[in-house]
Amino acid sequence: MRITLAVATAAAALLGVAQLHAHHAFAAEFDVNRPLTLKGTLVKWEMVNPHSWFHVDIKDKDGKVSTWMIEGGSPNQLIRMGVTKTTVPVGTELVIEGYQAKDGTQKAVGRNFVLADGKRLFLGGSAGGVSDPAKAK
Amino acid sequence: MRHRSRSFLRGTAVALALALAATISIAGQTQSPAKPAAAKAAPANAAAGKAYKAPRTPDGQPDLQGFWTNSTYVPLQRPNGVTKEIYTPDEAEAAIKAAAARESEQTEPGTTADVHYDFTQFGLDRSQSTFARNLRTSLIVDPPDGKLPPVNAIGQKRQQERAAARKAAGGQYDAVENMPIGSRCIIMGGAGPPMMNAGYNANYQIVQAPGYVMILTEMIHDVRIIPLDSRPQQPAGVKQWVGLSRGRWEGDTLVVETTNFNGKNAFQGSSENLKVTERFTRTADDTISYRFTVEDPQTWDRPWTAEAPLAKTDGPIFEFACHETNYGIANILAGARADEKKAAEQKKGSN
Repeated sequence: MRITLAVATAAAALLGVAQLHAHHAFAAEFDVNRPLTLKGTLVKWEMVNPHSWFHVDIKDKDGKVSTWMIEGGSPNQLIRMGVTKTTVPVGTELVIEGYQAKDGTQKAVGRNFVLADGKRLFLGGSAGGVSDPAKAK
Repeated sequence: MRHRSRSFLRGTAVALALALAATISIAGQTQSPAKPAAAKAAPANAAAGKAYKAPRTPDGQPDLQGFWTNSTYVPLQRPNGVTKEIYTPDEAEAAIKAAAARESEQTEPGTTADVHYDFTQFGLDRSQSTFARNLRTSLIVDPPDGKLPPVNAIGQKRQQERAAARKAAGGQYDAVENMPIGSRCIIMGGAGPPMMNAGYNANYQIVQAPGYVMILTEMIHDVRIIPLDSRPQQPAGVKQWVGLSRGRWEGDTLVVETTNFNGKNAFQGSSENLKVTERFTRTADDTISYRFTVEDPQTWDRPWTAEAPLAKTDGPIFEFACHETNYGIANILAGARADEKKAAEQKKGSN
């Protein structure tokens, strides 16, 4: 396993696109200039509101293990879809693409949660299906 | 296309569904996310209401009990350029499709908007849950133009004073108290009254007992216990975040009047003298017509009314213990301090 901390050099495009559902200002918490990809093992999942926190053990190239905390979405909707601590157990291998905390600590927002085989972890449906008359019943 | 993940989503959606089902057994998760339970909702409600007889509770009240959602794609105010009040079903479908596409649109890597988890992966895309159908082009039904009335001079003055007070208190990330009340897990928009679509987890549970109706809001666990016994309202000095509600039945319609707001949770810029009158009428097994009228002479010169149907959804309501282990506030404040430190070092370096 390895840790990749790619620090973007390009200036952030400050478009200020409003996130309809944003509970709080994630861009105030995490650094757009510190995108990262972490590969590790889920050791703890705090199913707390308003945001889940996934604790993931990351091993660096020297074999040293450190724990990162990754912020994700509200657990309520995941539970409603059947995603629980049983279906995503401790020990699950994850690749997380996201952005590191501004204060430089080992925290990040998980933009994408990907299983070891490359598949998205929580993809819950396709919005395109909403207007399929066959499905709108 | 400015999507990082759109092609990925398209290319793998079916395979993913199968793989997810096989590997992590996401029970009940399907690729037909929309469950528009309230397909017959508003504006046909009036006609449907006459034909439909709501079931009764053991003590004879019309039965509103169960789990409901007000999730909707219909905006509060009529969009600019839309002149009609009611869409045809085809037009409504097209509007929903467009809104759903916007909502699931992927953000551009390296932009501020991208610094967030992907809603589609956390079931927060509205199309992934039950939502209430509504053929209206705006939730506001009065004024007839579907727009909020203009804020009057008293309201404008108050808004200026509030803005000045915020400015005097310092930056938004200077202190916990300066941050929005939703971020601080005090109250969110779903509680109301009026109960507005919270965006996600927009779920409610209604329980009736003799003489009372209880409404639980999932996000963030606010409860209104509404007495039906015509008791007088509390003195004006008794104020709550969700106000104090008093209810009565008018035929099969539950009418709830709420005053005594504390003014800290201003609805569309309202004052603490806000009065909200809600009307709940069960118009089908899977639909409650929900209309509310807002009166606040210190904000608007006229009352205004909106209709936002409630669609039956699946329970239970899960706990939403928002402040426990809420790392976000500490992280945001730490981020602001880190930014300040960086700016100070840059300034020092340039001197």
